[in-house]
Amino acid sequence: MSDRPIRLTRRKLLIASGAAAVAAACGPAATPSPSASSAATASAAATAGKALKIGQLLPFTKVYAELGNSMKRSTDLYLKQKGNKLANRPVTVIYEDEANDPTVGAQKTQKFIEQDNVDVMMGIVATPIAYAVRNAIDSAKMIFIETNAGGNALTRDIANCTPACKSKYIFRSSFSSWQISSPIGDYFATKRGVKEAFTFVADYGFGTESAADFTNAFTKGGGKVTGSLKAPLGTADFLPFVTQLKNQPTKDIYSFFSGTDAINYIKAWNQLGMPAAGYKMNGAGFLTEQDVLKEVKEQAVGAVTSLFWAVTLDNAENKAFVDAYQKEYNLLPDVFAVQAWDGITAVDLALQATKGDTSNKDAFIAALEGVKFKSPRGDFEFDKTTHNPIQDMYIREVKVQNGAAVNTIVDKIARVTDPGKPTT
Amino acid sequence: MTPEVAVQQALNGISFGALLFILAAGLSLIFGMMDVVNLAHGAFYMLGAYVALAVVQRTGQFWLALIVAPLAVGALGLVLEPLLLRRLRGRHLDQVLLTIGLSLVIVDVIGLVAGREIRSLPFPAGLDRSVPVLGGDYPVYRLFVIGFGILLAALFSYVHRRSQLGALIRAGVDDAPMLAALGVDIDRVFAATFGVGAALAAIAGVVAAPVFGVFPGMDVDALIYSLIVVVVGGLGTLSGAMAGGMLVGPADTFGKVLFPQFALALIFAIVAFVLLLRPTGLLGRVRITR
Amino acid sequence: MRRRVALAGAGLVAALALVTFPIWSSEWESSRYATTVLRDMLVLGILALSLDLLVGTTGLPSLGHAAFFGAGAYAAAIAAQRLANDNLLIGLLVAMVVAASLALVIGIFAVRAAGIFFLMLTLAFAQMVFALAFQAVDLTGGSNGFAGVQRPRLFGLDFSAPDALFELVAVTFVLVVLLLWRVRTSTYGRALVGIRENERRMRALGYDTTRLKLSAFVLAGAVAGIGGALSGWSLRFVSTNDVGIGRSVEAFVSVLIGGSGTLLGPAIGATVVLFIERVLSSSIPFAETVLGVLFIVFVTAARQGIVGLLATAYSRVRR
Repeated sequence: MSDRPIRLTRRKLLIASGAAAVAAACGPAATPSPSASSAATASAAATAGKALKIGQLLPFTKVYAELGNSMKRSTDLYLKQKGNKLANRPVTVIYEDEANDPTVGAQKTQKFIEQDNVDVMMGIVATPIAYAVRNAIDSAKMIFIETNAGGNALTRDIANCTPACKSKYIFRSSFSSWQISSPIGDYFATKRGVKEAFTFVADYGFGTESAADFTNAFTKGGGKVTGSLKAPLGTADFLPFVTQLKNQPTKDIYSFFSGTDAINYIKAWNQLGMPAAGYKMNGAGFLTEQDVLKEVKEQAVGAVTSLFWAVTLDNAENKAFVDAYQKEYNLLPDVFAVQAWDGITAVDLALQATKGDTSNKDAFIAALEGVKFKSPRGDFEFDKTTHNPIQDMYIREVKVQNGAAVNTIVDKIARVTDPGKPTT
Repeated sequence: MTPEVAVQQALNGISFGALLFILAAGLSLIFGMMDVVNLAHGAFYMLGAYVALAVVQRTGQFWLALIVAPLAVGALGLVLEPLLLRRLRGRHLDQVLLTIGLSLVIVDVIGLVAGREIRSLPFPAGLDRSVPVLGGDYPVYRLFVIGFGILLAALFSYVHRRSQLGALIRAGVDDAPMLAALGVDIDRVFAATFGVGAALAAIAGVVAAPVFGVFPGMDVDALIYSLIVVVVGGLGTLSGAMAGGMLVGPADTFGKVLFPQFALALIFAIVAFVLLLRPTGLLGRVRITR
Repeated sequence: MRRRVALAGAGLVAALALVTFPIWSSEWESSRYATTVLRDMLVLGILALSLDLLVGTTGLPSLGHAAFFGAGAYAAAIAAQRLANDNLLIGLLVAMVVAASLALVIGIFAVRAAGIFFLMLTLAFAQMVFALAFQAVDLTGGSNGFAGVQRPRLFGLDFSAPDALFELVAVTFVLVVLLLWRVRTSTYGRALVGIRENERRMRALGYDTTRLKLSAFVLAGAVAGIGGALSGWSLRFVSTNDVGIGRSVEAFVSVLIGGSGTLLGPAIGATVVLFIERVLSSSIPFAETVLGVLFIVFVTAARQGIVGLLATAYSRVRR
């Protein structure tokens, strides 16, 4: 008599979570069927009902705050659509501010690990912070989905693991900077027949990595990089730099800037009449992402960039995502929202595969590695070796559509995956 | 660098320098009159930019923002001086420290109220085109900034020359009871000075916003540039702020383009160099160090 | 005399309690998180204490003190890697020497100025150090930071474990407090106070005030460097934030809130500041505003900081 109820409950639990998984997979607004939920409440003592704690480390203050807010909105929306349950486990998300400071990031990571005892950790926008906590996360065997920071080292084999290296516990739902910068270099040289390019990037980790990866691929494809320029991060005045660009002969400029730098750069570019003089602005996708376009608008028209998503991307998931986001927040989503969305989707699907069990780390890791879904960016899966996404890279061009400047897809480089070790 | 490019960059340097002068003017004024380095200067600058953003969002009028922002921020300065700084009268260092706290509060409140997105101000209509200058297109807005800087400088020197008040106030900093005995309401004068300094910072925020942008952390960048300018050019004098702007602007411009590796360090090296040779800055008034 | 003994005894008890914190706290605090937070408070406390040697004791308001903190952090980390040596004493020595040397170079110029000018010079020099740390990518990792810092060892004692590292930080903190207490009560320290009170008079009395100020600057820099080394070991990471203006302001705010010119004030201030910035910020979105308001209140109404308030309350009670 004493073990009969347990066996019965466990079977009901399996049925309940299976039904919930099927229901969840069927559509964005799916809710568990009534019979399943009553079975779940009946088996409250079993692991299915136990609260799932997710720790999200994102910037809510300082320069990257907008990204953190966007990613929180995206995560909240996803959970709302799922009735705040993943694999039939009620979800508690603890948000902490990384404040663009690795010291703060390290302490908050310790808080997630030691005090909050989160089941999964997600987030981190700034690469230095990701590098700073990589070892702590690995030692604690904390499953971590990196939802933005694109530093190449985080998902690669690196000698001496400096500045960082991959870990079996670390997955990335965003990108590696190589994925953004290298394919477009090859594309320009081989498909577009561009012979010469000039690089102009922000002088910090992401910028220098981007310039190096682009240069490498462009040169291998037969092109020649005739020169390079770097602007300090947070440059106030871009006129001097654009003046230099205008006074050199190479017309194709490849740039990496984001946020305020990108806005100021694009404005200066137009003010000095670069398009009329025949210069072409190319770059990594963040140069013309939503946060930038909303301020510069038509001034960015003609810019060709590479990114794994655009708001105009024409697939069913993206349409649903953009509509839902707009309806909820009266704002257009940006690529950061997509990264966060895919991150939590991956967690959701992996949880369903393990039937809500997060205690067996290896099983959860295997589940994450096996995750495959249709994301707003297209087909999403993790590369099993690097845990970095395998994704399509789109070549986008800023055009005016329906009176607004948007990134339109003009070409695609299919199934790009990070090489997993240094290429330069 | 060819001569033509050098000339273009010189023009860039001058227009940047003009922006720096407008930015630093308020800081210089408050120090000159009150012996206080207002470390909340960047916060007032930021506040001015965000107020302008609000005005432009609602009305689309840049020129209206240029009036509203300094009025609003100046009023705040006018209120804060008697409220907080007055009780520290005579304790200059403590007043400086207080402005640090002020800056922390103002910047956080801006973030809480206005959000922490990256914004920019569009160039006002009419000033958003470029005109041929020296063989290339040059943005009209930058020429406007140079003109605005000249106007501001002219306005300042007119007020300074015309009013005996400036000299009286300086005396008041050293000996307030004496000045009060002469019948001057020193409290009102200091409050007004702080208010005007804050308003000037706000004007800089509006004028610079289309060029530099509006974003979290802009206060620190602005404060550092302002300090560089007034320290190099000379604390406390208008001509000092101008000299500082005209030195730092081109130096920063050429430095970034010619020696990108050392550009950041170069500017501070200039600061340190000047401070060592002339502790009061190039054109600063003579002061006995404590 | 009895009061002195009582105070010394209380100090000893407090120091022992601090150093053994991980042991007696494990009862009520099963995670090590409180230990981590306290450790970070002690590290900032060391920085604040070193800064107060300048601000409180000598009257030199420095807004660029994190330069030495970060320099010490980078030095210890880089040396351990380049020399392939994780000896604790070597690491501390390198950190102190590099930080002190930097303080010497900067101090030679900075101490010629006073008051506001000194403030701005230290700020300018610190920004230069920041810029250099940012640019020297091959040495410091640049914007990506310096990762993989090895925790030190000493003759078989391994400080890798969190509790062991905490002990190291706590013991170092106590030693720093003792050192600064000895400095402040020595004739050297009194000369520094004399400079704060009236430098011209000290010069008239025959003291070489420039040399004294410079030595204080170098000493403060060296101690900050020790704090930096501890920070690098604690986080296993050194970033440009460690030499940045934010860290300098954090230290300055700690000194003022805790009580400048007092023995433990700066450390108490560091505890309060970190509590607001790291713990309170999890619960409320306006933690920076709270910090700013608190700072303003202390500057205007309680200039002697928390220690000053406690001292006033104590003397009132005794009366």
